[in-house]
Amino acid sequence: MKKKRLLTLCMISTSVCLLMACQEQEENINLISTEEKSEKIVNLFGPMEKSNPDADNLARNAFDLTIIMAEEQLGVQVAYRTYTAENYQEKIYDDVVLDRARNNMDDVYLLNPDTIQILGSEGNLMDLSGLSCVENLRDVVKAANTVDGKLVAIPQEVVVNGLFVNKDLFDQYDLALPETPEDLLHCCKVFQENGIETPIGANRWWLENFVFAQGYADLYNGGDTEAEIAALNSGEKKYSEYMRPGFEYLQTLIDLGYVDAKKAYVSEAIEGEKEDFLAQKTPIVMAYWGAANSETAYGDPDFNLQVIGFPSSLGQMPVVSVTGYGVGTDAEHAEDTLDVLEIILSDEALQIYTETNKVISPSKNVEVECIPALKPLNDKIQEDIYVLGCNAGMKMEQWGNTCLIVRELLNGATVDECMAEFDRLQEESLQ
Amino acid sequence: MKEKHDRSIIDQGITLLFSIIIVFCLLGAVVFSISHKITTEMSSSAIQNLSESLDLIKCTIEAILKKEAEFQVLMAQEMSVMEEPKDYILRFQKNQTMVKVSLILAGETEGISNDGEVFSEEGLDFSFGKTVEGIPISQSYLNYMGTWAYSMKCPVIRGEEEIASLYVEYTYDSFERSLPDGFYDQKAMLYIMDAKSERLVMKPKGVGERQAGHLNREDFYRANNIQEEELKAEVADCVANGKNILFYHRIRGKEALNYMWAVNGGSIYLIGYVPVEAIQQEGRTVNQNIFVVVSVMLIAFFLCCFLYYLNQRQQNKIRKEQEEEREIHNQQLAEALQAAQIASNSKTMFLSNMSHDIRTPMNAVLGFTTLLAKDADNPEKVRAYTRKIMASGQHLLSLINDILDVSKIESGKAVLNIEEFTLNSLVSSVDAIIRPMAKTKDQHFYVDVTGIKHEYLMGDETRINQILINLLSNAVKYTQEGGEIWFRIIGLKQRSSQYEHIRIEVEDNGYGMTPEYLTTIFDTFTRAENSTTNKVQGTGLGMAITKNIVELMGGTIEVFSEVDKGSLFRVELEFRIPESQEDKVFWEKSGISKILAVDPDQKACQNMQTLMKDTGVWVDTTSCIKEAAQKIQEGIESQENYDMILLDWTLLEDIKTIKEIQSAGDIMAPVLVLVAFDAMGIKETIELEHLETLAKPFFVAAFKERISEMQKEHIKEEPLQEAQENSLNGLHFLAAEDNEINAEILTEILEMEGASCEIVENGQQALERFAQAKKGEFDAILMDVQMPEMNGYEATRAIRTLQREDARQIPIIAMTANAFAEDEKEALDAGMNIHVAKPIDIELLKKAIKQCMEDREES
Repeated sequence: MKKKRLLTLCMISTSVCLLMACQEQEENINLISTEEKSEKIVNLFGPMEKSNPDADNLARNAFDLTIIMAEEQLGVQVAYRTYTAENYQEKIYDDVVLDRARNNMDDVYLLNPDTIQILGSEGNLMDLSGLSCVENLRDVVKAANTVDGKLVAIPQEVVVNGLFVNKDLFDQYDLALPETPEDLLHCCKVFQENGIETPIGANRWWLENFVFAQGYADLYNGGDTEAEIAALNSGEKKYSEYMRPGFEYLQTLIDLGYVDAKKAYVSEAIEGEKEDFLAQKTPIVMAYWGAANSETAYGDPDFNLQVIGFPSSLGQMPVVSVTGYGVGTDAEHAEDTLDVLEIILSDEALQIYTETNKVISPSKNVEVECIPALKPLNDKIQEDIYVLGCNAGMKMEQWGNTCLIVRELLNGATVDECMAEFDRLQEESLQ
Repeated sequence: MKEKHDRSIIDQGITLLFSIIIVFCLLGAVVFSISHKITTEMSSSAIQNLSESLDLIKCTIEAILKKEAEFQVLMAQEMSVMEEPKDYILRFQKNQTMVKVSLILAGETEGISNDGEVFSEEGLDFSFGKTVEGIPISQSYLNYMGTWAYSMKCPVIRGEEEIASLYVEYTYDSFERSLPDGFYDQKAMLYIMDAKSERLVMKPKGVGERQAGHLNREDFYRANNIQEEELKAEVADCVANGKNILFYHRIRGKEALNYMWAVNGGSIYLIGYVPVEAIQQEGRTVNQNIFVVVSVMLIAFFLCCFLYYLNQRQQNKIRKEQEEEREIHNQQLAEALQAAQIASNSKTMFLSNMSHDIRTPMNAVLGFTTLLAKDADNPEKVRAYTRKIMASGQHLLSLINDILDVSKIESGKAVLNIEEFTLNSLVSSVDAIIRPMAKTKDQHFYVDVTGIKHEYLMGDETRINQILINLLSNAVKYTQEGGEIWFRIIGLKQRSSQYEHIRIEVEDNGYGMTPEYLTTIFDTFTRAENSTTNKVQGTGLGMAITKNIVELMGGTIEVFSEVDKGSLFRVELEFRIPESQEDKVFWEKSGISKILAVDPDQKACQNMQTLMKDTGVWVDTTSCIKEAAQKIQEGIESQENYDMILLDWTLLEDIKTIKEIQSAGDIMAPVLVLVAFDAMGIKETIELEHLETLAKPFFVAAFKERISEMQKEHIKEEPLQEAQENSLNGLHFLAAEDNEINAEILTEILEMEGASCEIVENGQQALERFAQAKKGEFDAILMDVQMPEMNGYEATRAIRTLQREDARQIPIIAMTANAFAEDEKEALDAGMNIHVAKPIDIELLKKAIKQCMEDREES
């Protein structure tokens, strides 16, 4: 009896399905879909590393998640334009972004600290202090990105740079993780004695972290920071005084062969040193926080990775550089762009971003646990021990200029010549 | 044979399976072939479609380049006629297409741009040798705006002299505005690559598009894992020669069609990929539809198979059931045949037995008749012979009765005649019949009645009697001399207050029965022993009749027996209790309200109390004479005397004690001695003490009857007088009897009794004869029933309708071999007065005639 009912039910269902399938749909005379496409577009310009097959870029994924959130909520399309230099001889991203921002090519730009300083001071960036997300930002973020009283850029993460060390190799040679510059020299010596010719893998971008860590350790940790910056801005004090120890230290590293200057000079970030570091041929490299989480960088090593601060007289010192999204003053889609920023910089979006990327959020309301490798670095940050690699409050741009001068050092300039360049730049900034 | 059959079925199944597999394989091959063909065709079509789309894009870009070049030539021509071409340059405002215009005068290395800046050819690479409309086009470069651009260099010719070179910078962003948002539902990826530098100068810009490589061709290869050297070489060769190339390669896990499409003779390339699933969307849809159709067909096929299987299974099940049923039926038929054979054998045996049983008394009748004829002069011998003839005749009659009874019951024609009866009459009548039989074999016959709450019951007393007589007579018959027989009537717990539930047990310690015989004891025509080899006589129908009657009454019968140990028959019946029970008035009129029962048997005392419960009489009981005396004394003292004392015969010797007490109290309540059948040595005492007796077991009806008799003791009728009253002397009858012998017997018998009769041969003649007779000529009509021309019933009806004064008064007595109760009823319904069954018992006939005569007189 039950079987008969089941069969009847099946047959009725099938008949209904067939009837529904046979039902003709109402035909429109105009065969073109009349659905209106979204006209709203926000042009975003950002950097991009070279691609690897089938590699997921976590940082990009996190960013994409927030962009998709904005696109869904606002019905806009975020057109993402990128640039990557093919080699060291080509224009760097910062130059390109300056050109594009100055020519109003896009609406929103992902800016490094030096370009924030430059574009902000040129008046090419909109004041974002009116955004509601601003009240959630940490003070250090606001301080780093405020130019002439305007908050010209807001980041999705606070970039903390540190030394990425292969703890297994340190343990192998019974070495403690370096606290001071001298400690690091000793470690490098031991590594070199044990057949590691170049203990520190470097590229043309991040060696300035050594300089900042040594130069500004006292300024940002115990000194009268405001007074000292004021003195620098007025010319009473010279940047070269702060920078010299770091440059001399770099020179020592180069002279002792702990850093391959020639290779570093032509190497892009991560690209030049990654292979040896992951192959455990190089025990030390430098990179930003997020590199420890990203498969495209050092996210999945076969050894015990630890990320520590750069050596300084005050011990391990993280170097904080704050990037950020800046909106062109004459952006074509300014209103939509600001709406997008409101969403991608909201606590909700930053929570997703921070959880995905395991980074330090610019919002004081968003906290996530970091991976074990980042714990030493994170502990310092939590103790408010760090130096700023950029500070828009300083009239002379720090990050980009120092980077360029370090490159000069790599290219064979003397420390004195480098210091002279600092003095020249300081003079320019005072005019 | 079965194995061969099974193997044949397996072979058939395998063949069918292979056939199905082959059909499916063919179907699969056809579907695959169609699907493959569709895929190939659609793929080919899609490639063509993609080529057309790329050609369209290519043409669009080339048209833009052409227009740009043409416009630049026009600008150069305009400048050639101007005295100061530089002014023209400085006046130029950049737009979205032309972002920079510069001029270098002939012979100079530097010139000026529209922004006033110094311009040189440094940074512009025209070495690639590509042109648009004859104007050289540079390699792509990143311009001052941070975007990818190219420049075209156009000579400014005045007359035939080249006076300067006009450089115009264009951005690829202008292409972006002219190209479609995307193609293949935006699943296709489109880049523009500068052929010389192999840099990707225009890229997809949506979220999620960035992981496909963005830098240059090498980056594109790396991102998309295109690492086959042969392929790369082929692509490089095509790019170097300005050819187009399309190739399949997996891109991020999906099969894709990759393209490199030369634009402007290969100065720039459209590169990218389209996932195959996007290209073959229609083909895939078609294939999906084919798959769905095939799936639906397969599902339908399997559903049909399943239904067929279900149907077959159902059919098999039905077939199996039918086979089983047939087998059962065959078995039943076999059993029936066997039973029929057994029945036939039984009947043969029965006939043989009957032949024997009938012939035996018949032999006696005929033999003694012969002897009677021979010794007719010797009255002593005549009497002896006639007694034996009578006995043989009686036996023959009982045989015939049994045969008729069983056939009637089995045909379902038996009807119960439900009337009120008392257990007392039942027990006493049975006792009266069985006890003499038992006595002849020196058997002890015990009657026990316990637990009965109502002795007046509704039922067919005759049939119950029949049951009991059958069981008890069998017990007597199959118990050795000196054996014991127990007859018990036990009151069971009532299932309904309206019914008395009774168990009847007949037990003996006789021969018993074998277990085999017990299974057939209730079958007809069976008997424990063959009558031809055994001295015990019987029809073999008694137990069958008994069982049928019990079942007719809604009861059950069981039998337990062991050879040489005895048998126990247990019958359970339910009888409705009549609404009007014991007449309390009788007891009041009789002045009996309190009696004392003295019996050592406690159960008997309880029985008496139970039975007397509804009479309103207080029954006090005791088991010893001493206590009885005390109770009587107490009664006297309290002036609440017993109206009657029931004393068990075993205590009779103590009667004096009671009498003395009564005498002392000047009270003489009658004493009724409860006498068992085996009471010995009490006759003298009873006579001496002038005591009355009451037979045990105790019944209220018997007790009541006894009291009535005691009260009417002075009225005593002479038995002789009764005999005289029953005499037929002087009566004249009209007898309708078609059988001459019966007529002669009747005549002789009546004559012996001093009566006379006139015989007529059928009902018609009887009717006519009576109609002609004078009034009072006949005292009664004796009417046979089955007669030719007119039967007894019709004749009676006709007589009763005659216009004669005595037509309704004349007694008509049915004298017929139709001896059943319903025959009697029919006879009475026809108007006859009484029914007497043949063979004629003269005493019964006399009684019947007497009763009719009395009734006639009364009326």
